[in-house]
Amino acid sequence: MPVSLEQSETQRLIRLEGAIDIACAAELKTLLLTALSSGREVCVSLGGATGLNATSVQLLWAAERQARAAGNGFAFVGPVQESLSISLGGEGFNEFFVLLSADCLGGVANCQA
Amino acid sequence: MDQFKLCFQEEAREIIVDLESALLELNNNSGDQELVGRIFRALHTIKGSGSMFGFEELATFTHKLETAFEEVRDGRLQINSELIDLTLAALDQIRSMVEEGQGGVTVDPVVCAEILTKVLQITGTPEAPECSKIAVAPIDPPALSDRAQEWLIRFAPGPDLMLNGGNPTLLLRELRQLGGLSVEASMAAVPPLDELDPERCYVAWEMVLATSANRDAIRDVFVFVEDCCELTIEPASSQADNPVESAPAYAADKKAKALAGRSSQAGDRNHRKLDSASLRVPAVKLDQFLDLVGELVTVQARLSEVATRCDDPEVAAVSEEIERLTLSLRENSMSIRMFPIRDTFEKFRRLVHDLARDLGKDVELTVEGGETELDKTVIDQLGDPLMHLIRNSMDHGIEPSDIRASRGKRAAASIHLSARHSGASVLIEVSDDGGGINTEAVRNRAIEKGLIDADASLTDDETFALIFQPGFSTAKQVTDVSGRGVGMDVVQQKVESLRGSIDVASNIGLGTKVTLRLPLTLAIIDGLLVSVGKAFFVLPLSNILECIELTCEDIVKANGKHLANVRGEVIPYFRLREYFQIGTPQPEREQIIVVETEGGRFGFVVDQVMGDCQTVIKNLGRFYRHVQVVSGATILGNGSVALILDPERLVQDALRAEAKWPGNRPVPECKGSCQ
Repeated sequence: MPVSLEQSETQRLIRLEGAIDIACAAELKTLLLTALSSGREVCVSLGGATGLNATSVQLLWAAERQARAAGNGFAFVGPVQESLSISLGGEGFNEFFVLLSADCLGGVANCQA
Repeated sequence: MDQFKLCFQEEAREIIVDLESALLELNNNSGDQELVGRIFRALHTIKGSGSMFGFEELATFTHKLETAFEEVRDGRLQINSELIDLTLAALDQIRSMVEEGQGGVTVDPVVCAEILTKVLQITGTPEAPECSKIAVAPIDPPALSDRAQEWLIRFAPGPDLMLNGGNPTLLLRELRQLGGLSVEASMAAVPPLDELDPERCYVAWEMVLATSANRDAIRDVFVFVEDCCELTIEPASSQADNPVESAPAYAADKKAKALAGRSSQAGDRNHRKLDSASLRVPAVKLDQFLDLVGELVTVQARLSEVATRCDDPEVAAVSEEIERLTLSLRENSMSIRMFPIRDTFEKFRRLVHDLARDLGKDVELTVEGGETELDKTVIDQLGDPLMHLIRNSMDHGIEPSDIRASRGKRAAASIHLSARHSGASVLIEVSDDGGGINTEAVRNRAIEKGLIDADASLTDDETFALIFQPGFSTAKQVTDVSGRGVGMDVVQQKVESLRGSIDVASNIGLGTKVTLRLPLTLAIIDGLLVSVGKAFFVLPLSNILECIELTCEDIVKANGKHLANVRGEVIPYFRLREYFQIGTPQPEREQIIVVETEGGRFGFVVDQVMGDCQTVIKNLGRFYRHVQVVSGATILGNGSVALILDPERLVQDALRAEAKWPGNRPVPECKGSCQ
């Protein structure tokens, strides 16, 4: 699955794998809403993603905004692949992704971001 | 198929026509850098937009061709006829890729590969990278010339762009190929997550592009999405002194201004609409619109009648105002359907180029009057007749070069296509400087085929008319191009179905000119409304010479023959009452409508001439499609239906009936005082 959700006591981790485009957008929105409704910190792992198109980026941006408004944590976890970095930069999206290291995922067992 | 792909296909067809025309022009003017630039831009646009709308195979193929023309543009490769022929062949494949899947059109990958191999052999360049690889690799901005200018671009895709297969990423990549680009995405329009439609695009982009390309070239990048996005392209003129390297810093400044102006987005949208030179509308919508205007014309005519009967000045004033507006609306709606014939003409450059090569003849096509406008329906049906006329000219008319030389003619033969307005008609001429029509050969062939008697005496016009007979050909052998006697028959059928006529002029040894006279439009005619008993008919004014009264003297003097003496000229006539078997009694006074037809002048006898009228033609429907003497119908102001007659066919049919049953016609009878 290009998008999946893992849960722990303190965090919700959404993993993105491969090219995340309009075909996955509905699924990504559902997972983001599920993760946000838990009231826990949400982490999005970009390590396996090779591409994010505008529909995915706007979902992640809206989710982060909603989490911050609710006072919950929301973080993007790297490192990202070079191709993703280039394409996000080329589309002017780089400033939306402040990446954390995988260490922050302490609450999610066996997580390799 | 979604509307964006259809939109791409429509525009790609236009670009291909332009591309083909530019290639053929380049064949004659190999040093024309503007043409090379035009070809390069067209290939670039097809590639970029094809890729954006999922035509990956097309994008890859075109990319390689584009690379070859980049060599030409940059002066590393000299253009030659081999490369042009290859590019034309490649264009055929691109056309198939655009149309693939429709009407059995398929692309032959082997042919594509062969073409590309040959192109690469000519250019001597290593194989260009695949488009899909380009999609991943970062693109270095091209070196900027001294003339580079900065542009502020704001692009907000329509909400359904991505749902329909569009991809803004590819547009940004296209822009990057024009110069240095600084991009910033704006999330201002993104709604809260739970309200967000995941398949819609809410992101907008603000960019600064430093490029030597002009506004049109930048706009070309967005050509397939322009109708469904917000796009502004502004020159950074106030910052002209800024060096190009300062683009990012400048971007921040301009972006702040752009953000400040976001509240006036509605105004921008309106501005963009005003900027658009044209709007693409499906033809079917236009037809529906015209039908509704036709209905309105009918209702307006009824209103005028009612207003006349009411004798109320207020109603009369309103009726007159509506009449005026309806007339304007009708004229406007008709003008919307008018298109210049240029594109149809341009398509024949390729035909002439290919046929000249196949026949081993040197032929130049010249075009004149491409701006002449005709109804779209007429234009759509003109392709076949023109194609057959040109093929005929090239195969039969234009002599081989040795014969031309012996006749002291220029080695390069000429075919001239022209169009011009003449009253309510358009004259389209196909002329050549070939050998002309050999009337003796035509005559002999007609005798062989039993079309005329051996001792028949024919005028030149009558002889030329024989070449349009089905199966008629003087060719000694059938070739791939012509000789089966089908082409000219098609020309005749098609032109007649368009209510047009053909005129042929030819001089042996000097050339031939075929003139097609076609109505400007098929949707409306200027007609003369007449009545017979309780029935109404409309005759096209273009055929009518005059109206005269059928006098008792004529009837008596003609001795039972249907002949009228019009200022010394004897004109045969027949009564529409008899032809249509209308049972109402014949009035004391009748009128003859004298019409000009290909077979000469004839008269149609009617009871009453009501007056001229502009008539919106209604189709009679498929059940009456074989009734050739009636070209349509119209609804009159009083709600009754009037049949629109085709005088040419009416005369032909009446003469056939006369020849079949010569004695059956009732002897004309005068109801006037002379009896």
